[in-house]
Amino acid sequence: MSKIGVFVCHCGENISATVDCKKVAEEAAKLTGVEVSLDYKYMCSDPGQTIIKEAIKEKGLTGVVVAACSPRMHEPTFRKACAEAGLNPFMCEMTNLREHCSWVHEKNDQTTEKAIDLVRMLVEKTKLNKPLNEIKVPVSKKALVIGGGIAGIQASLDIANAGHQVILVEKEASIGGHMSQLSETFPTLDCSQCILTPRMVEVAQHPNITLYNYAELESLDGFIGNFKATIRLKAKSVDPKACTGCGACYNKCPKKKIPSEFNEGLGMRTAIYTPFPQAVPNKPVIDKENCNYYKNGKCKICEKVCPTGAIEFDKPDEFVTENVGAIVLATGFNVLKPDFFPEYGYGQFKDVITGLQFERLASASGPTLGEIRRPSDGKVPQKVVFIACAGSRDPAKGIPYCSKICCMYTAKHAMLYQHKVHGGESTVFYMDIRAGGKNYEEFVRRAIEEDGANYVRGRVARIYEKDGKLIVKGVDTLLGAKPVEIEADMVVLASAGVANCGAEELAQKMHVSYDPYKFFAEAHPKLKPVETNTAGIYLCGACQAPKDIPDTVATASGAAAKVIGLFSKDELTREPLVAVVNRIASHDVSTCVGCFMCQTACPYQAIEREEVKNRAGEVIKTVARVNPGLCQGCGTCVSFCRSKSIDIQGFSNEQMYAEVLAVLNTP
Amino acid sequence: MAELNSKVKELFEKDLIDIFIGYEEGTRNPRPYFAYSAQDADNLVFNDKCQGNLAVYLTRKDLVGGKRVGISASYFALKSISQLFDENQLKEDLLIVLGMKEDGSILEFKGLDEIRTYLSEAKAPSKQKDDELLKELSEMSQAERWQFWSDELSKCFKCYACRAACPMCYCTKCIIEVNRPQWIQPWISTQGNMEWQINRVMHMAGRCSDCGSCGAACPIGIPIHLLTHMMTKTVAANFGESNEQGNVLSTFKPDDKENFIL
Amino acid sequence: MNNEFEPKVVAFVCNWCTYAGADLTGTSRIKYASNVKIVRFPCTGRIDFMLLLKAFANGADGIIVSGCHPNDCHYTSGNFHARRRWILFRSLLDFMGIDINRIQFSWVSAAEGAKWADIVNKTVTNIRELGPYMEYRRAANFLEANEEELTKELARNKEEEVKHG
Repeated sequence: MSKIGVFVCHCGENISATVDCKKVAEEAAKLTGVEVSLDYKYMCSDPGQTIIKEAIKEKGLTGVVVAACSPRMHEPTFRKACAEAGLNPFMCEMTNLREHCSWVHEKNDQTTEKAIDLVRMLVEKTKLNKPLNEIKVPVSKKALVIGGGIAGIQASLDIANAGHQVILVEKEASIGGHMSQLSETFPTLDCSQCILTPRMVEVAQHPNITLYNYAELESLDGFIGNFKATIRLKAKSVDPKACTGCGACYNKCPKKKIPSEFNEGLGMRTAIYTPFPQAVPNKPVIDKENCNYYKNGKCKICEKVCPTGAIEFDKPDEFVTENVGAIVLATGFNVLKPDFFPEYGYGQFKDVITGLQFERLASASGPTLGEIRRPSDGKVPQKVVFIACAGSRDPAKGIPYCSKICCMYTAKHAMLYQHKVHGGESTVFYMDIRAGGKNYEEFVRRAIEEDGANYVRGRVARIYEKDGKLIVKGVDTLLGAKPVEIEADMVVLASAGVANCGAEELAQKMHVSYDPYKFFAEAHPKLKPVETNTAGIYLCGACQAPKDIPDTVATASGAAAKVIGLFSKDELTREPLVAVVNRIASHDVSTCVGCFMCQTACPYQAIEREEVKNRAGEVIKTVARVNPGLCQGCGTCVSFCRSKSIDIQGFSNEQMYAEVLAVLNTP
Repeated sequence: MAELNSKVKELFEKDLIDIFIGYEEGTRNPRPYFAYSAQDADNLVFNDKCQGNLAVYLTRKDLVGGKRVGISASYFALKSISQLFDENQLKEDLLIVLGMKEDGSILEFKGLDEIRTYLSEAKAPSKQKDDELLKELSEMSQAERWQFWSDELSKCFKCYACRAACPMCYCTKCIIEVNRPQWIQPWISTQGNMEWQINRVMHMAGRCSDCGSCGAACPIGIPIHLLTHMMTKTVAANFGESNEQGNVLSTFKPDDKENFIL
Repeated sequence: MNNEFEPKVVAFVCNWCTYAGADLTGTSRIKYASNVKIVRFPCTGRIDFMLLLKAFANGADGIIVSGCHPNDCHYTSGNFHARRRWILFRSLLDFMGIDINRIQFSWVSAAEGAKWADIVNKTVTNIRELGPYMEYRRAANFLEANEEELTKELARNKEEEVKHG
């Protein structure tokens, strides 16, 4: 006979404001099998948990139902409390009176009645719960980091420095990411490359880090502690072992007019190229799309000039498989290509550029060697207009969110411009200035007050060309929407940060959830900011949402700490909510008929074949068996099995049946 | 027919089989017959009056367990045999299949692959009458269909002849016998009868040969074979005719089409 | 209390998307009809079609089945399997005259709190119009059905008697 304890939480007033918690507890007490039913202001608090623990001990409870918030929030808390009181943690269930009842319904009798129904459902389910023991799984202590920008670099170094092996995968020819493109960084104006490149070199030289550049994740199998990642090593056409990085090849390459991705199209590169001089690894690759040989079968000049014979044409992509225990996603972001804004004339007017292009103009390693010269004629612009929120915070454009970094880098751009072009005039159109962060507000004030950037609050409606000038038409909303017209030499759009291309595809490959803007979703916005919903996969940096460098590095170290924590034990304990094939009587008979259709249905290849033998050792029949280390507990096999020979612990047929019947108050 | 008798005789004489599953003449229609010797082979018949799906006997352990079996198989039985192989219920080296064509000639299959090839090319016998009934029913209103089926299924007294006649119903413990929880009411009520049929038909999805033996077996003539016939057509319409590895419900395509999920 | 019919709606949802989505409805304080009660499953792949029938048999007037959008399943493919199951189950029910308008299928992600409220409200309104689902429940009643049959048979016998004198 079950002895169930029901514990109804008020959650301060979150539940009790619309649900009569006292009545819920009273009604629950009347249910068959309920030994004790109480309500309390904060069940999750220490005194609240003590109430539960004492009731378990005093009344000898066989099951506990906590009627409080979402089990996604506090199920672990209460299960732990029960375990501490000597009750098997899987005899504890939660019913969601807050998110699914008090917060979504008005205060009335029906709401309280619903709460009673919800409690009854879980009481009936809990009566059929069975004590379960955690499953232990070995952990392979090697991490995979995807993305070699500052986030991936930081995470890799942290994990590697803790003594674990790291596989770092970067899709481009060099690591470094967007940070390597930046000129100087706010709020200190230190040179981006000066602080980044030593880290890049550290990655390359670290004994614990294996770097796969020009590579992408092909597929991922397995689960926390035991992932199997297949990585595609894209053919570089250059043997990195033989190449010394002398540069003879790209100096002689006849294709010289390819817009450089690193310079955001403001400079040119060759078909065989390293993205930038400080690239890590500093060995070229051939861009097959643009190479003469790959396009029309003739050329091979690089092969002729290479002193070490490193060029290897027509080699296919290769694949490597790595067994890793944890994965860090650090795939970064992209900036919205401003052809998104026909009204601003990007692409039509050469001197309308993006913030990232301005970074290249301002960078000492950039196409103008750090001089601010406009793309159209190379003249130094005397009047520059900066437009903040180009795309961001614009629901009509489908980007309602704030890109977070633009206010700061626009202030930085105005500042750099004023430093570099004495007597130049800069105007910043903005919606609001968001400068939360250490020394950020001071930085913006400096741009305005010391460097004389002219900040205009308002939006730009249109840009057009007239007599060699860009006419920027906007309004100044602080002056009663007064129209403003500026004749500019160059316009810089602080275009929105968006998810990296291929983010959705990658998320699907890895079974990680993502938000409507294709940024990867964290497991909890506050309390699990670097975890994903898939155990063992963590995220950091701007693949989650636009982030500046300090935040990116902080989350990268956070994700690394999670990985190191996971690797601190040899075994991982997993929830035993897995499927099992029944074994009746003496454990050697099963109702399973061995059709093995469950095997095709299982997404984790967790179902194996097991031969049932008689005493003489002859095979009587072959039945299914679930490998509890591989099973993730989805239960697809359970509802598929015709003879109901397979069931799932924690969500068993009997439990779900009882719960459904209890919804409708039919015993 | 003489061809069948001599062929089976030969199988026994060469000691290739221990039992042959076929038909013998009955009082009105031919009935299933198990031949154990070359002599018995003379009693075998096969004609268009032969009803049922003999593949049903292939999973009866008491009958065929460990024995080398021969069988005369209609188009539908061949389909069932192919499916039973998919479901690991048959062993290729213990089974000799003689396919019976509609003109009475015999197809000797060397192995499963040949059966599959034959099935992929052969045309399914037409089910004109069933198709007409199906059309009639789908043209009814939902309320009329409910009336029709609740009337029909109110007559069912759960003898499970439909289950016994079906080659695909070989579970050692059928869902109807599962009592924790009691998924289906064991007593006779329209609802329980309906739920039994819904289960049966869902379990047949993509596995059913559409032989109609279930309906033919029903002692009170409830047209339950229309349910499986309809399911077979629905499966084909939604997921194609080809029998991929596994059955339709244990496989999927990411681009399966539906129009009812919001 | 008013006399208006209050439908009983059972929602079968997966833990990772729709349950979390419904949590978000809560955290966003979006109001919806309290007629619906959520049963949590690990995955839509776990939702046995028999449970839907059991809900109808035991007094549910409407059902919501909801899980992760295609390609978003926490378990990769549970929702794809479920989708196939529902395609066939739905056409079978419809063929047998069981009212499939009472089952609402949806994909609600963890980010779609507002959509969840919308689905619930829409379903409750729809079921309110359809009224209580008596047919399926009544079919459970063996005696009642039999009695009807018996009365008919008696009447037939009487007619026969009258005919034959």
